[in-house]
Amino acid sequence: MRCWNLTRVARNISRSVLLSVLFSCALFAADNSLNVTLDASKSNPRVVEPLTQRAIIRDYKFAWGNINSALASNSNAPLNGLFAGSANDSLKGIVDGQRQSGVTSRYLNQSHELDAVFYSPAGDVIELHDTAEYDFEIRDGGKAIHSEHAIVHYVVLMTPAADRWIIRQLQAVPQF
Amino acid sequence: MSLSINTACKLRSARATLLSALFFSVAFGASAQELHLRVPSNAVAGQAASIATTGSGSATFYLNGPSISLKRDVQLGQNIDMTAKEMQSAGRYIAVICTSACSGSEFFVAPEKPASLTFIVHPSRAPVGVSDVISGVAMPIDQYRNLVLAPATVQFQLTSKGSAPASHSVQSRDGIAWFRASSGKSAGPLRVSASLNDLSALRVVQQVASDPCNLRIKGQRTAKGILVETEPVRDCSGNPVPDGTIVTFTAKNGHDVSFVDAPVKQDVARAALLVSGPVVVSAASGVATGNELRIGGKE
Repeated sequence: MRCWNLTRVARNISRSVLLSVLFSCALFAADNSLNVTLDASKSNPRVVEPLTQRAIIRDYKFAWGNINSALASNSNAPLNGLFAGSANDSLKGIVDGQRQSGVTSRYLNQSHELDAVFYSPAGDVIELHDTAEYDFEIRDGGKAIHSEHAIVHYVVLMTPAADRWIIRQLQAVPQF
Repeated sequence: MSLSINTACKLRSARATLLSALFFSVAFGASAQELHLRVPSNAVAGQAASIATTGSGSATFYLNGPSISLKRDVQLGQNIDMTAKEMQSAGRYIAVICTSACSGSEFFVAPEKPASLTFIVHPSRAPVGVSDVISGVAMPIDQYRNLVLAPATVQFQLTSKGSAPASHSVQSRDGIAWFRASSGKSAGPLRVSASLNDLSALRVVQQVASDPCNLRIKGQRTAKGILVETEPVRDCSGNPVPDGTIVTFTAKNGHDVSFVDAPVKQDVARAALLVSGPVVVSAASGVATGNELRIGGKE
């Protein structure tokens, strides 16, 4: 009888642990959902090749995932190799400021609709218009001080590097 | 699988509800405390700005911008001044003020006037006489490295020795002005400039000879074989081709065929063919072929 009780307790504990793990995994997945689409039909003067479109989607998605990681953890490391020029300096400026003030921020449930509006004849720079939709949260210590569901328009300049496209300019504008 | 999707959906929904509740509680709390921010409506990068507040007592102010995150103690009812340095980046800013509850508001900062031109020209070397082979992209940038999106007229000018300068006037769109042009007829440097008001940027494209044209060869028998060489190799516009351009010499003697590749050096390619007896020698480079030379017989 005692043995049966112990087995039941062990089963309950296992079930609770399993549920907790599943719950945290699902929550993590929900927090980190990030969709990127690209419409290159209006790109001018050069057509964006299908392989290039896939690479831009992949790298832009990765970049925004890492922006979230950097701002949530106040670490510049996730930004390395994905940004250059003013975009790189700006993001590092936010991380440094957050670190000094003990603030963190997160971009959750991100969705990015990209339109390629310019692709240079030589293929060395592309301008994208990103209509981004996300839940943005600013926390001071453990307390949420700002939480919003935002739709933000970004003008983005990307250039090809050795094995990826990197973001050189990421500038929010009121409208396109 | 469907169970996990359903679980994720429910959790996502629950999370959205929680976030909404949090948002509304923050908003409600803020209105209960009558916290209001009046943010700048026409802020420009690099210019100081201030945010007006209502109420009384002390509060904590947060500013989240494109390149800044700051926190400071403020007095409600007074303006919160932001320095020019804090407002250098164009983009979206969120100002939040907190007492027991928080209230936030967004505003945008526009780029300042152009202070430099980012100018990318391709290629660095271009063959002469090729249409639309040279292109350039110019982007007006302000002194804080923001992309200036307001339309501006950029003047592109292409100048090379011995020909009249060519100009293109282009209105920038979404912060970008670009051109495409054909290369000239003569080899040599092509100066490409972009200018906007008193700003300018200069790049140089080296125009080089195109593919060889009209190859002609001559040769003579030596003790060991045949020495053949080309006349000066030029493109169809008369420009000497660059050193290193490969010319392939072919020697035919009945069914025996032998090839020798020789680089152009100081306009001429030379090769020694180790053959005996009568041969027919020809030369080719790119799509150009030369005359046939009969040695041991009659040309």
